[in-house]
Parts: sequence; C-alpha cells; structure tokens
Amino acid sequence: MGVPEREHVQPKRKSKARWLLHLFPLPAFILYTLFVVYPILSAFTYSMYEWKGIARGAFVGLQNFLTLFQVEPFNKLFWNAFGHNVIYFLVEMVVQNGIAFILAFLIYRKIRGAGFLKIAYFMPRLLSVIVVGFLWKLILNPNYGALNTFLAKLGLEEWAKPWLGDPDTALLAIILVNCWFGIGFAVLIFLAGLQSIPEELIEAARLDGAKGITMLGRIILPLMMPSITIMTIFTFIQAFEAFELVYAMQGSMGEPFHSTDTLAVYFYRLAFSGSGGAGDVSIGLGSALAVVLFFIVASVSAFSLRVMRKREIQH
Amino acid sequence: MRRYRSRAFVSAMLTAMLVLAGCSGGTNSSPAGDGQSGGQTGNPGSSAGGGAEQVTLSMHSWRVEDAEGYKKIIQAFEAENPGIKIDFKPFKATEYNTILNTALQSDSGPDILQLRPYAPGISLAEAGHLEPLDQLPGIENFSKDVLAASTGKDGKVYGVPLSLNSTQIYYNKKLFEQNGLSEPKSWDELINTAKTLKDKGVVPFAFGAKEGWLLSLSHGVIAPGTYNGNAFVGKILNGEADFTSPEFVKSIQRMQELVPYFPENFVGLDLNDTRTMFFTEKAAMFINGSFELEGLQKMNPDLPLDFFPMPTDDGKTVLTTWVDGSYAVNAKSKHKAEALKFLEFMASKKFGELFANEFKRISAIPGVTTSDPLVNKMAELSASSSTPYLMVVHFAEGNPTTKQTLENALQGMYLNKLTPEQVSQEVQKSAASWFPTFKK
Repeated sequence: MGVPEREHVQPKRKSKARWLLHLFPLPAFILYTLFVVYPILSAFTYSMYEWKGIARGAFVGLQNFLTLFQVEPFNKLFWNAFGHNVIYFLVEMVVQNGIAFILAFLIYRKIRGAGFLKIAYFMPRLLSVIVVGFLWKLILNPNYGALNTFLAKLGLEEWAKPWLGDPDTALLAIILVNCWFGIGFAVLIFLAGLQSIPEELIEAARLDGAKGITMLGRIILPLMMPSITIMTIFTFIQAFEAFELVYAMQGSMGEPFHSTDTLAVYFYRLAFSGSGGAGDVSIGLGSALAVVLFFIVASVSAFSLRVMRKREIQH
Repeated sequence: MRRYRSRAFVSAMLTAMLVLAGCSGGTNSSPAGDGQSGGQTGNPGSSAGGGAEQVTLSMHSWRVEDAEGYKKIIQAFEAENPGIKIDFKPFKATEYNTILNTALQSDSGPDILQLRPYAPGISLAEAGHLEPLDQLPGIENFSKDVLAASTGKDGKVYGVPLSLNSTQIYYNKKLFEQNGLSEPKSWDELINTAKTLKDKGVVPFAFGAKEGWLLSLSHGVIAPGTYNGNAFVGKILNGEADFTSPEFVKSIQRMQELVPYFPENFVGLDLNDTRTMFFTEKAAMFINGSFELEGLQKMNPDLPLDFFPMPTDDGKTVLTTWVDGSYAVNAKSKHKAEALKFLEFMASKKFGELFANEFKRISAIPGVTTSDPLVNKMAELSASSSTPYLMVVHFAEGNPTTKQTLENALQGMYLNKLTPEQVSQEVQKSAASWFPTFKK
C-alpha cells in the first residue's frame, strides 16, 4: 500500500518514466503487427479474390467459400479432413492427457525418481518434429521396422501390419506418435496445477475424512480445473492445426488415400500445391480454408473456455 | 486467478491466429525474389575500354546441384565468344517458380531462364515474358514432341529443350540370368517372368504404394503397353477417346494384376525402401525414371543393371519420356542478341555432348552420345519409340491435378477401396473439370 504515497512524493520523474515504459513494447508490437496481424488481415482479403497462380484477379466475394463447401472434390476433402481433426482431438484428450494426468499425479505423490521422470517424459518434446516423424517412420516400417520385428520375436507375426500404409491404422499411428511427443508438456501443466493446490486444503479435507477417489474427485480435480481447461484448449488448437507430423510421415497428400489428411495439410495442398511445382495453386481457396479454420478454432476455444471456467473454483 | 485465465484466453486466440499468419506469409514473402536478380544487366557504363563491349548475361536455373557442371559448359561458350560473360545463378527448386515469377513481373528478370516443362512454363510465354525462338538456328533439329514442352498455344516455340526424362523397368541382369530369364517381349511374358522369379524366392518388383507420385510414374510405364502408345494419346487429346475407354481401363487393371508380384506390405513402402531392395539385389525389377540411374550406380557400383522398354500389345516397344526443362530468353532482356547466341549454343550438338557427359542425363538434342551405355540406350529409344508420360505432359492441371487424382485413386485401388473401373471414372471426372476437349 505504500506505492501511491511514493508517487505523490516525486510525481514528475515518475510520470516521465511511465511514459518511457510504454515505448518498450513498441519493437515487439511492430514485429507482431507486421508478421501476425497484417498477414491475418490479408488472408481475409485474399479469400475474397480470384487467383491465377500468385497473381490476384477479380473480387469474387464469398465464391471461394461456396466452392469449398459445395463443389466436389473440395467439400468431400474438407469433411474428410475435419473428421480426422476431431479424431485427433478426442484421441489426444483420452490417451495423451489421460496418461499425462496419471503420470503427473504419481510424480506429485513424490514417488521415487520423480525428478528424473519429469525430465524423461519431457525429452521427446526437445526433438524436432521432423526428427520425431523420421524416427517413427523407421520404427513403423512394415518390413524392417522395430515394431514389427518386435512383434515377430514375440510370436505375434499376424499382428504385424504396414502401420502407416494401411488406412485403418495410419491416422491412429500418427496421433499416438503425437501423444508420445506431447505427453511431457501435459505432465508439466498438470503437475503445476497439482502443486498450486494449497497444502492446508488437502490437509483439511483429509481431517474431514476424504481419501482415495473422493479426495481426487471432490477436492483435487476441481481445484486444478484451471490447468485442465488450459490443457484442453491447447490440445484442441494443436489437434485442429495438426500439420507437421502428418507432413513428415505421410507427405502433403495425407497418404494413403487421404486417410491421414487434416485441415492444415489440406490447406497447404490448396494454397501451395503438393506436387512439386506442378498443378494449380489456389491461394483464394487456401485462404478461404484458413479463414474457416480460424473461426473453428477461435469460436470453439472461446466457447469451451466460458463453459469450463464456470466449473473452476476460486481458492 | 482471473488474470491467469484471461491471459490464457488471449494466448489461445493468438495461437489460433497463427494458422492464418502461416497462410498468407507464403505469398507475402515472395517479393524477396526481387533482390535475387541483382546482376542481370551487365553494367552498361563499366565496359572496360578494350575494344569490344563486354556483356554479362544473367541466367537462372532450379538446379543448384548442377552449378559446378554448368561452370565447365559456360567456359566452353565463353572461350568461343570473348565478348559475353554468363552469370549462372541457381535457386532452390521449390522456390524457383516464385522467385522467377516475381522477378519477371517486376521487369527485373534474368536474361536467360530455365523454363519448367509444359503448362507451367508455357503460361510464362502466354503472359508475354518470353522471346519466340522459331528462327533460332538449330531449333529445327528437335522433334515436335520435344518442342511441345515449350510451345505456346500460338504455335510459337519459346524454349530450347535441355534434357529428357524417361521411365522404364530396370532389371538385375544377374538375377534374370540365374533364373534363365530374358527381357520380356509381351505382357504375358512379363507376368511369366514375374511368376518365375516369385517361385524362385526373388521379389519380382521392388514396388511401394506409399508415395503417390510413384504410382502415376509406374502407370505411365505400364499403360502405353495396353493402349499401344501414341495413337491413343492422339485420340485422348482430340476427344475421340477418354479415360473410361477400354484401353485405359485395361491399363489400370494391369496395375492390379501386378499385385501378387509386389513385396510384402507394399502399401507401406516408400521410394527409399524399394530402391534399397533393388540395389541390394533382393528384388529383380524396379520401375523408375532415368533420374534414378546415377543414384543406383553410386549406391552399388557392382549392380548388374540394365533396363527394358515396355512391350506393347501390338508387338512393339515404347519408352515413356517427357521433357525435363528448357531454356528461354526474357522478352525484356537488354542484351537479347547475346542471349540468343547462348541459346544457339545450347541447341548445338557440342552443348548436348558436354551436358550429357557432365550430368549423365539424356540430352534433348538428337544424336548425342555419352560414355554411359544405358544413357545411350535411353537416348536412342527416346528418339525411335517414345511416348509421352500422359499425366505429366497433358494432365498436370486442375485442382487437385488429374495426375494427383490418378495417384490417389490407384492408392485406393491397392487398398481395395476402389475398382479399376472406379479409378478410371475418378480420373475422367477430374479431367472433365478442366480439360478443354472433355469439358464441352
């Protein structure tokens, strides 16, 4: 409470310093405007124009959006990719975040080697996504990959599959690799949530007789709701912008047979064309898809944030 | 807590925005190409007073890996033409189109430029950026098929073809001899060859379906055998036949007929896997392009390598070829006369031989021979019995392109999701969306 008093003592100096303070974010703000805000606004305008290669043609209003949703094969590919994004999100929520929560809880309970485990789980995150993709491509290789060799050693040859070449398993394989990659981050977020719960609250609950499932469900989970909210939103955004791993492991066509296509990969193909320079580049359609993707991600994030916020408890 | 949450909200929104930023970033960054064309016009004032005017021509290409080889070729030209210097500037292949288009649009393009084959390159001529080359000495030596890669809709030629690519079935001579096999002369013989190899425990074809482009490439080799090469191509182009015609459907059926002779789990194999199978002599045949030749010979110098062209149903053989690129002159070049002189050199046999030996590729110039017998065999066959790679030469347009549609549909067929008939219908549907003769 002493701060306002001091301000009265030296008002002039302080206000000058304050004024200067506003200048410091300026470089960041300029860069941000130039490389984030301006491109976003230009994508909005690009989506309303006809494009011939990289040359902008006539203003066509919402034509690109109509094409995206009404003309074959664009609409089929859109819903195909959209469905994959939804699966991406659901599997990551259950597998990645589910396992991460259990791991975080174990570390929180201070099992032996907690410090080491915390680092170990985070390790994959330090690798480049391209390296991760390449590594898993080798592991999942149908004829000499480690996974199929391992299955054969166990006598489970019939379980061996061309994991990335079979449309029934390819998408799931990629999502699980992503879970492996992202689990460390989720553990850290959950652990931070757990550790922010005041010790006295746990103590009080314990004195009141709470333990086991009751303790977890009634006390701990509600109290760490903020980090669950954050992790859900992060997972959602990450799932709907999934690109790198698919591109690294299955190429820009979402192979095989579009079974691993996602909206971002589809966008890349539309805007920059996937087949090495040949073919029509459609910046207009690509921008339209990017705008649609933006609204999906922004609106769902905002909505779920509102809903989940209500379930959070102040402490 | 509240502040924490609202901050999280803002960061969530900002992350969401990144996808949009990523989108338009690509198009915005294109003007960066401007700076690249720095040395294109020889400094007009600084022609050191030594009698003849010294002119420096700039030359753009997408072959960064060829820079050393071009240096030698350019030296040979400069020795004969003391007044002209060539500044060879290659760019990364994937960025070349953007850099070149931007430079041409802002009138700061190079004097000489490497031109993408077929539709993408021809579109530059249609935009008025290129000088017609019909009068260039030497251009008359090229066949019409080869010139088609750089001929505009107005019938004028805009580029000197540089090299040809061909696709064929490579085979391992030793594995063939050990099993008493020789080059098949018909489709049935090819199937019998594959059967024999399979019975002897050798993988007949090193083939994978994971990478789509290899599927259209392989189809490009197999298909001309069923439709007997060029006559059918002509029919497709003038609308007498289309992709649902029986000849074409048969070509897709044959792609399926080969399945028993592909390696185990072939739907999950990519180029790396299949190439390795072939040069480690685990598989006897490998359907691929002339551009794989140098790599195969390097990976296993002892590989008893040969290839055969595709036997057709009417008893001939065809080699699938297409032009890999041409060189053109910028219509706005300040030194057009000198640039044309260099292109005249590029159309000469001397250049063809320098090029073919330096890069082990098939020169587009007829009658050029090299020190590599396989390259010579490819060159001879592409002169005597070539047929175009239909999907690259005529059907690489549309969004997605008809070529991509075929690749994806073939992948679907190998995964038992489509029948050969459905594949040909998909291809026809894609072509009908843009190909003028089918559009009606």
